[in-house]
Amino acid sequence: MSVKHVLTTCPYCGTGCNFFLQVSDDGKVLGVVPCKTDEISLGRLCIKGYNAHAFIQHPDRLTHPLVRESGGLKQTTWDKAFEKIVHEVTRIREKYGPDSIAVLASAKCTNEENYLFQKLARVAIGTNNVDHCARLCHSSTVSGLLTSFGSGAMTNTIPEFDNADCVLVTGSNTLEAHPMIGARILTAYDKGAKIIVVDPRETPLSRIAYLSLHQKPGTDIAWINGMIKVIIDEGLHNEEFIKNRTTMFDQLKEAVKDYTPEKVESITGIPKKDLISAARIYAKTEKAMLAYAMGITQHSNGTNLVKSMANLAMVCGHIGKESTGVNPLRGQCNVQGSCDAGGLPDLYPGYQRVVDPEVRSKFEKAWGKELSGAKGLTLTCAIKEAEVGKLKALIIFGENIMVADPDIAHVEKALKGLELLVVAEVFPTETSKFAHVVLPAGCYAEKDGTFTNTDRAVRRVRKAVEPPGEAMADWQIACELGKRLGASGFDFKSPSEIMDEMASLAPIYAGINYQKIDGQVTRWPCPSKDHTGTRILHTLKFTKGLGEFAPVQHAPPAEEPSEDYPLILTTGRNLFQYHTGTMTRRSPKLEREAPEPYVELNRGDAKKLEIVDGERVMVSSRRGAITLKARVTDRIIPGSIFIPFHYAEAAANRLTNAALDPISNIPELKVCAAKVQKA
Amino acid sequence: MMAEFDPTILAFCCNWCSYAGADLAGVSRLQMPPNVHVIRVMCSASVKPEYLMKAVSQGVDGVLVLGCHIGDCHYMTGNHRTAKRVPLVKKIMGDVGLDERRVRLDWVSAAEGEKFQKVITEFVNEVKELGPNPLRSVRF
Amino acid sequence: MREEHGNVAPALVSKGDDIGDVRIDVPYQLVNILETIYPWTSGKIAILTRRCDEKALAELFKRGLIDEARIAMIGLGCSKEQVRLCRCEDPVPTKVDVGEASAPAKGDELEAKLSKMSPEERLRFWVGQFKKCNKCFACTTNCPVCFCDDCVLEEKTFVSELGIPPGMSFHLIRSFHLADKCIECGECERSCPASIPLLTLRKMVLKDVKELFDYTPGDKKTSSPLLTTLDDQPLVGDECNEC
Repeated sequence: MSVKHVLTTCPYCGTGCNFFLQVSDDGKVLGVVPCKTDEISLGRLCIKGYNAHAFIQHPDRLTHPLVRESGGLKQTTWDKAFEKIVHEVTRIREKYGPDSIAVLASAKCTNEENYLFQKLARVAIGTNNVDHCARLCHSSTVSGLLTSFGSGAMTNTIPEFDNADCVLVTGSNTLEAHPMIGARILTAYDKGAKIIVVDPRETPLSRIAYLSLHQKPGTDIAWINGMIKVIIDEGLHNEEFIKNRTTMFDQLKEAVKDYTPEKVESITGIPKKDLISAARIYAKTEKAMLAYAMGITQHSNGTNLVKSMANLAMVCGHIGKESTGVNPLRGQCNVQGSCDAGGLPDLYPGYQRVVDPEVRSKFEKAWGKELSGAKGLTLTCAIKEAEVGKLKALIIFGENIMVADPDIAHVEKALKGLELLVVAEVFPTETSKFAHVVLPAGCYAEKDGTFTNTDRAVRRVRKAVEPPGEAMADWQIACELGKRLGASGFDFKSPSEIMDEMASLAPIYAGINYQKIDGQVTRWPCPSKDHTGTRILHTLKFTKGLGEFAPVQHAPPAEEPSEDYPLILTTGRNLFQYHTGTMTRRSPKLEREAPEPYVELNRGDAKKLEIVDGERVMVSSRRGAITLKARVTDRIIPGSIFIPFHYAEAAANRLTNAALDPISNIPELKVCAAKVQKA
Repeated sequence: MMAEFDPTILAFCCNWCSYAGADLAGVSRLQMPPNVHVIRVMCSASVKPEYLMKAVSQGVDGVLVLGCHIGDCHYMTGNHRTAKRVPLVKKIMGDVGLDERRVRLDWVSAAEGEKFQKVITEFVNEVKELGPNPLRSVRF
Repeated sequence: MREEHGNVAPALVSKGDDIGDVRIDVPYQLVNILETIYPWTSGKIAILTRRCDEKALAELFKRGLIDEARIAMIGLGCSKEQVRLCRCEDPVPTKVDVGEASAPAKGDELEAKLSKMSPEERLRFWVGQFKKCNKCFACTTNCPVCFCDDCVLEEKTFVSELGIPPGMSFHLIRSFHLADKCIECGECERSCPASIPLLTLRKMVLKDVKELFDYTPGDKKTSSPLLTTLDDQPLVGDECNEC
């Protein structure tokens, strides 16, 4: 009897730590050992990483295909399941056209799988309706930074945080959402770096921050413009950088001219001396990094917010150098990769535009099929289309939209109206409940592939155990489906072959192959076989040439507090649970730490409502109501409440507003109006 | 030094000896300071070191552990365990900078009402001198 | 430990299999790894052991958690640099089969600094360190002598759930529970993402145990003083072997 140690990548957040899964001879996963020589994790992990083995062989795992019959979901064979899907897809396509069908790719699946999912949609079905959960988290980053820099990815790398002298963190509870990146920020802090945190809540990071600023949710452009104005007025801006490397500075200057510290304080609540202090520190420190996440992206003006982040960095010239840059922290283990692989309605693999005829013809040649030139539906729009009956079929790979998407009541309506809902999953979820066909999929430990983490490193996922029962890896499911739909180009013997094809079509991945990334950390762009990857972006010039300043103005959130709904609801994560909880709630040590849903309520607000800590309360908005436990605390500003979105039984997204950013279509998950009353 | 500092003090008293001694002190109407919360346990050994650490971490100003005299433990060797644990708990507190005098171990028999009074009064006065537990003002 | 995929991995190599490119410069806590995989192994296991690992195994042998007869130790001597990083005062295994016999370090600088501080300063130092704790449980997961199935740190009474950082009780309780077992391997400190100087705290507590009981963990013949009476007899009615 023996035990092996398989080096793989963590399936939780976008940091992409590597660790060893301990597997016995008889195929049992025993535990996790951190990889001490891993450049990203440095041999450390967070509590989720240490428990990344716990859900893999859980008894709830889906082991057989299921099909909906009169009595509910019943077990069936793979053949019958595939036949049903093919039959329905063909029928619906003939009757309503290929654009009545949408495919949801998965930020939890590998790059190879996502490449196949978008190929399935585009080649096998004939539509560009392919999207995934990046729509809900960093689509603003993709659209914002694409305009500002020409590339939507993190500009620097995770290890560089260690050596920063200033880290400005906003809209990110880094120590809870990206613990190993938070650990890097702590290293910088131990070395004397000044950490500036801008967040409506007091988070573990703000407790050790040099400056902790609390802004009203939804007012970020105001304080960013305010900081830029201070920097320009005090002559702290980087004139040389602005002159040589950017364009539209004059328009930016004009746009920020009214954002005096006094005005910023009245809009955001940030005391003016703190704003000025923060601006000076960020501008004057050479090695200053910006880190941001959902607090910046998930707004109805998210794209503009991201552009403001870019503005701030460019004004100081903090780009293209060591320990600087604009660093969006991506949530899912492979959300960067699923975007890179083309799981987007308007972009082919490698961020090449669908509407560009030259680009399209390249893909048509490679895939041997005529392709649609019309932009597809984004996830948020697809749900709305389904609700009004325009979208008829949805094939979802690994996403739990019934808990993760905003305004769940409408999602439910949308799903119920579909003529075909196919869900490929590892566990039964609130979404698979509505499916016509459920396919049992393999999780990260049961297949080979790659995940691309938030700092663009393409990391190996290695198979450690066999999937349970009849479950199959998603890439095999996608290949089989593609073949049965009569498409060619779905004959792959291994994920390595899939990556080779993707690398041949996506220039940023051109030099990526399993042999190279097996031994070294390789970050894209990796344009050729001999290239060892790119650490820092925009060093000599921006991807689009000159960086573009965006003259943006503060705009209020789509739904502001009113007499009926007087509090601002903001949603987010906690350290112990992950997203919709399908994996973490089945991991005993994680579930034990944070087993129940709760709402964080400011002490003063609680007193006015006569609510005590631990009491059951009802939180409602114009879209729904949930009951959960109140946690009375000083750690959130008065007038705001916070609910983590992990708990399906009291889903925060019953309350959230699906108001979309016009460019990125990201919903305003961070601000809506709510009220709290005793339950 | 604050004049009017009202310390929060826990006293774990074992059922067979020290709690009976406390009872005796009360029945005999011996004067004792009021700010002591007596917690009855079956044996001083059931006071796991975790309780002491947790109390001190929460900001309790003083913790008293009172058991039977060595040789008199109702469970034979329970108080031996206590006799080894508490000094180590105190040392660890000292290592992190907490005053080890905030935790005290003593033996009080069922007949020693007066000793109970003496130990409580001495301890409360000592803790008053030490001032409030510095961890009270630390927000984690 | 050996090279795999451009990294260094712990490995259990069966008889007849290729051992690969062995590395001794990356300090994986092999005794801790052995503890997890032990129930799924059979026969005799040889393990690379540093001096601290020998002592850890001694602690496990005497509690009956690992069968001494099944273990063969291959003495691994730590390099000068490793000794310096651990501030190790006992770095040479009983027999040096691999690696070098390095001279011990001259003590822990931070410990010396802390002992000269006033209690207020010392408390402020430790509170500042513990404020960074993110409850990853790396210290407990990777510790070779932390073997309880039902860890007291997972009980809500003693360490409140959900709260980050978890407060002083976590670290104080842990220090107590390790006091009679810690063999100073330093794994806790190495795996702490917040870089808390845990090894220094362990060394301070071990000095206390030496002073109070004249006991040092790591010898398979002597019982922990917390498991004996004041007359050094084993405690009666000992259900739990912890403290």
